[in-house]
Amino acid sequence: MLHFNSVTRVFDDGTKAVDNVSLNIEAGEFCVLLGPSGAGKSTLMNMVNGVVEPSSGSVRLGDLQLNKKNLTKIQRRIGMIHQQLHLIPRLSVLHNVLAGLLPDAGFFRSLIKSFSTDTQRRAFQLLDEVGLEEKHLCRRASALSGGQQQRVAIARAFISSPEVVLADEPVASLDPAMSRSVLESLKTAAKHHGATVICTLHQLEYALEFADRIVALRAGEIFFDGSPRDMNESIQSQLYELAKPQPSSVEVKQVAA
Amino acid sequence: MSMKLESTKSWQQWELYRAVTPRNILIFLVLFVLLSISAHNTQIDKAAIETSKAVFSAVGIGESDVLDGALRFGSKAFPIQISERTAISRLSDFDRNDLPWFAYIEVGEDKEYDALTNTWTVEKTEFLVEPLGYLKKVTLKMLETIEMGFWGTVISIMISLPLGILASQNYTPHRAVYTFSRGWLSFHRAMPELIIALFLVLMYGFGPIAGVLALAIHTSGVLGKFFADEIENAPPGPQLALGSSGAGRLKVLRYAVFPHVFPAWIAYVQYIFERNIRTATVLGIVGAGGIGMELKGRWDLFDYDHVATILLVIFLTVILLEVFSQKLRKRAI
Repeated sequence: MLHFNSVTRVFDDGTKAVDNVSLNIEAGEFCVLLGPSGAGKSTLMNMVNGVVEPSSGSVRLGDLQLNKKNLTKIQRRIGMIHQQLHLIPRLSVLHNVLAGLLPDAGFFRSLIKSFSTDTQRRAFQLLDEVGLEEKHLCRRASALSGGQQQRVAIARAFISSPEVVLADEPVASLDPAMSRSVLESLKTAAKHHGATVICTLHQLEYALEFADRIVALRAGEIFFDGSPRDMNESIQSQLYELAKPQPSSVEVKQVAA
Repeated sequence: MSMKLESTKSWQQWELYRAVTPRNILIFLVLFVLLSISAHNTQIDKAAIETSKAVFSAVGIGESDVLDGALRFGSKAFPIQISERTAISRLSDFDRNDLPWFAYIEVGEDKEYDALTNTWTVEKTEFLVEPLGYLKKVTLKMLETIEMGFWGTVISIMISLPLGILASQNYTPHRAVYTFSRGWLSFHRAMPELIIALFLVLMYGFGPIAGVLALAIHTSGVLGKFFADEIENAPPGPQLALGSSGAGRLKVLRYAVFPHVFPAWIAYVQYIFERNIRTATVLGIVGAGGIGMELKGRWDLFDYDHVATILLVIFLTVILLEVFSQKLRKRAI
């Protein structure tokens, strides 16, 4: 479905954010990119919709090679949930969701914010699925709570019936209970619409709970790739150790002694 | 000890700070000379002398032309003229049985000067007096002025909205279009309304049309620049989100930029509207319609009592406008 073919991204200051990563993601998978901050998760993900261009290597979605000519075509097949959400604060919940349909909407109709009954119904259905009630429909996005905004972002990502949904740290700023429920909504929506999800996370526990497949990254390289069941204690502790700064492990040894 | 190593001077030898130095005195003197020359050119000295003369004259010491001028206006301006008095013989369709509201007929003397014989002939004539006639006329003129300000603003928006989009760095189709639009807007901004109005009166003739277009042209330069700057400063996040989902640039502009910049735009437009009405009151002086035309006409006839009425109406309108727009602003958009 989605193929990364030995992609590398070197930033202007010389840091290798992603280093020779090859990855095949199957259709319908809920794939979590796991790793500490700066591991290259977001960079890898942003290569899919052209926000970040790979320095070398290539990305392919289905049979479409990602290049300048195909970029819009590929972008239309992708829904994205940004880390900072990027909802439009002064627009209503409904129109924030419908904004996800803009690429396909008629030009003049979209200028006067006119959307057909069917598309509006679809937005209602999606909002209901992610757990937002009708009373929120006409509220401005800026008036919603963090968890509600996150749900609007999910609905927006799914409204264009994308094949792939990219979620960049969708629960970074939420409390644990809210995080679980948002990830639950995301997973349900993905299963319901048959979309492939690539989701970056830094919390191991959520990855183990929700992922079909975990790809752990460290310093731009794949460190682990498999199902959550294969992620045994030693790999987990290794990932933790790598994420932790070195001096703390020394302290732990001293206490143990 | 380490301090000694760093500086060889002891603190007693440090240089003192002096506020008054020869250099400062020289700068002060040069500035004084330059400002004096400039002040003389702009008659600031005369203003100071004449104003103090007027103040002294007001308390009974000496005489002053300034005060005389003010008194000449003041004595003729009050009481202000709000009624209209017209000789019936000059009215074309006059019906004695159907007078306008509150109007009455007054019999008075109509003096006529005969230059050939150097005599005055006095005739008894009937006058139609409308007690509030002039006030009504001025109010209607003021209404026309407000309408000029309104349409000036509307046309200004129609010019500046597309130009503003073309003149914003992030939505301009091409660098050259950007430069051209910015230049065009600057050009509009650089021409004062009165000068544009002078030209337009030549082209379109006397009347509000010249005033409306003059207002629209000048303020579109101001509004367009505001619009362009606001579009450039809109937060990039939502634009990226919609853009990377494959939406076209105009749609991104409509959905991710317009909602954000809308409140600021409304505030600018409101300010421009207010300003346009204030400016429209003086545009009539060059014949571009509105209350200014009446003001100029009466002023040239030395009808200072009529002028006082006009000034009062302008004054009240501006104050009302201020109060109204303050209230409007308080309602969060």
